Amino acid sequence: MNHDINVKKLRLNCFRQSKVPGEFMLQMRVPGGMVDAKYLDTVRYIAQTWGDGNFHFGTRQTFDIPGIPYENIPAVNAYLEQYIREVDAGLCGVDMDTVAHQPQPWDPKAGYPTIGARNITACVGNYHCICGNINTFELARKIEPIIFPSHYHIKINISGCPNDCNKAHMCDFGIIGVYKMRYHPERCVACGACARACEHGATRVLALNEESGRIEKDPCCCVGCGECVRACPTSAWTREETPLYRVILGGRTGRQTPRAGKMFLNWASEEVVLGALKNWQKFSAWVMDYKPEYLHGGHLIDRAGYKKFKEIILDGVELNPECMVAEDIFWHETEYRSNFNVKPPELHHTAGPQA
Amino acid sequence: MGYSLTPAQADGVLGALRRRYCVYAPRRFPNQGRYSGVDVVRYAPVERFADIVWRQKSDYPVKEVISPIQQALFYFTEDEYRASKAPVRPILILARPCDIAAQEIQAKIYAGNGGFDDVYYQRVRELVKFAVMECGGGDDTCFCVSMGSNRTDNYSLALRCSDSGMLVQVADGEFEPYFQGLPQAEYTPRFVEENELKVTPPDLDDREVRLALKRHPMWKEFDSRCISCGACTAACSTCTCFTTRDVAYGDNPEVGERRRVTASCQIAGFDQMAGQRELRATAGDRMRYKVLHKFHDYKARFGDHHMCVGCGRCTHRCPELISISATVNKVHAAVEDIKAGMGKA
Repeated sequence: MNHDINVKKLRLNCFRQSKVPGEFMLQMRVPGGMVDAKYLDTVRYIAQTWGDGNFHFGTRQTFDIPGIPYENIPAVNAYLEQYIREVDAGLCGVDMDTVAHQPQPWDPKAGYPTIGARNITACVGNYHCICGNINTFELARKIEPIIFPSHYHIKINISGCPNDCNKAHMCDFGIIGVYKMRYHPERCVACGACARACEHGATRVLALNEESGRIEKDPCCCVGCGECVRACPTSAWTREETPLYRVILGGRTGRQTPRAGKMFLNWASEEVVLGALKNWQKFSAWVMDYKPEYLHGGHLIDRAGYKKFKEIILDGVELNPECMVAEDIFWHETEYRSNFNVKPPELHHTAGPQA
Repeated sequence: MGYSLTPAQADGVLGALRRRYCVYAPRRFPNQGRYSGVDVVRYAPVERFADIVWRQKSDYPVKEVISPIQQALFYFTEDEYRASKAPVRPILILARPCDIAAQEIQAKIYAGNGGFDDVYYQRVRELVKFAVMECGGGDDTCFCVSMGSNRTDNYSLALRCSDSGMLVQVADGEFEPYFQGLPQAEYTPRFVEENELKVTPPDLDDREVRLALKRHPMWKEFDSRCISCGACTAACSTCTCFTTRDVAYGDNPEVGERRRVTASCQIAGFDQMAGQRELRATAGDRMRYKVLHKFHDYKARFGDHHMCVGCGRCTHRCPELISISATVNKVHAAVEDIKAGMGKA
């Protein structure tokens, strides 16, 4: 076995170091967690031909194939070409000859060019789910060419509705499908099913006015889930024609300061969400002064400060009229070490142009 | 006389008809379904041929045109009142044979039932003429043939819609002028002769059998399955139950209106009486009441037909996937069971 292996280089190539020296685990991107089932044959072939025969569902919805010996990696990468061409280039329209939107020719026999922008995860969304408000994997496929290939790290989770099964609250940039709802009082039979559904499963914003026989709503606290629509027997509640999005920012797990994300945008249009993400490379580049580090996206927001993040990420983005933006965000971290941020000044991180 | 119209010619006829009639047909409302990305098809005024949804049956029934979910009956000011104004323009409704059969049943409930005519219903119904839309057999929730509602001769026009336009039979001379000069074609409507689904209503003539059925454990299934939302009765072609609601305008209780609002025997509280007593306190009880009303009680009172026309909309709209046809077949089996136990088989 070759004991001289550059594991950092392999990591960028989406091969993860094993505790068994010389073995690696491939992580195949599955944007939005949905692909044609025929690719299970691809996974099986790689696992049985070059891996140890096992397969793991990656925590970020990658196809993970463990137990690949170092010497098999060139063969695996050559075999991956078709999958990358079909899924990333074909399905998502990724320009593989770029990195962070700068020209950089891709060697099609060399596998994935970067690991920074992680696989975009998604719940099954309204492709299947009775609660889902959006087609999650179609959105993921629109985002993939914006963030990949790139050495700038970002974890994006998409949830089809505010139930957030896919944990938009626990990643850098979480996207939740929502709708503004429309009430048709002329179809309402005043049964109160919507109010009970909202109380049971959402934010208790609906109430039946027994005097008027109408539903009253506190629009401020509506999360846009659509439980009222699902509950209504007469279609007196309906979704508007176009979905909107809530963006949850800066959630993370980790060994230092895990935290749930907080609301950055509410009722944003798809154009606004994609427009903000198009500024992600620019924001990351500014924080690290154009020198990508193996550093997760949420930490970049910490270094720059939310207001700087907001300034760069919304630069040139024309907000839709309904869109709300957090003026400030106060995260609540779990500090595994008390007063984690209090330390000698020379240990402080910097952001922006460096000497 | 029969005609063959292109979509453009059909647009022209619709435009001319709309100068005299309010023309209602199933119309698509994008993304207004229970689940996102799902449309609702319900009755609404149509302007062009392309507005007419003919490929699938509507989610909601024709009755919404004639007896809407909500309507103002009269307005009051202190001790005076004035009835709401009756519509003036005649109404043309595009409907399938089962929908037209359903209106004949609705008429029995609203007009003459108990020696009383519901004037708010009658004054609209008198304005209505039907254009029967030929039905290709419906979908897998339909069982019109089992209920005898697959044919009708109660129509002024008959239509067969397709992508290339519509074939029209004019049965009522009043409509001939709208088609003058348009290409003639032989056309008589075809009616569905067989559905995929077949339903056998149970024989409940025997009172003892009926009483045993009331106590039968089959209804318990619905205590856990049915959520008593009332989507089935809202979608039902023949349900007529309503309540009234007095609504005061602003903060003055002396001025307001009395409104008719659709009600549902499936929603808790429907049968609540003084002392908070409910006759049917469980979902299973309510389900039994509805099913037996549709497949026994109405016929026992009014004669020839069961109340259900087999349009399948209750099944189609049920969020818990409870099928009326499967339920009736379960009743049928339970009745056979009961009769065998009583030695009456």
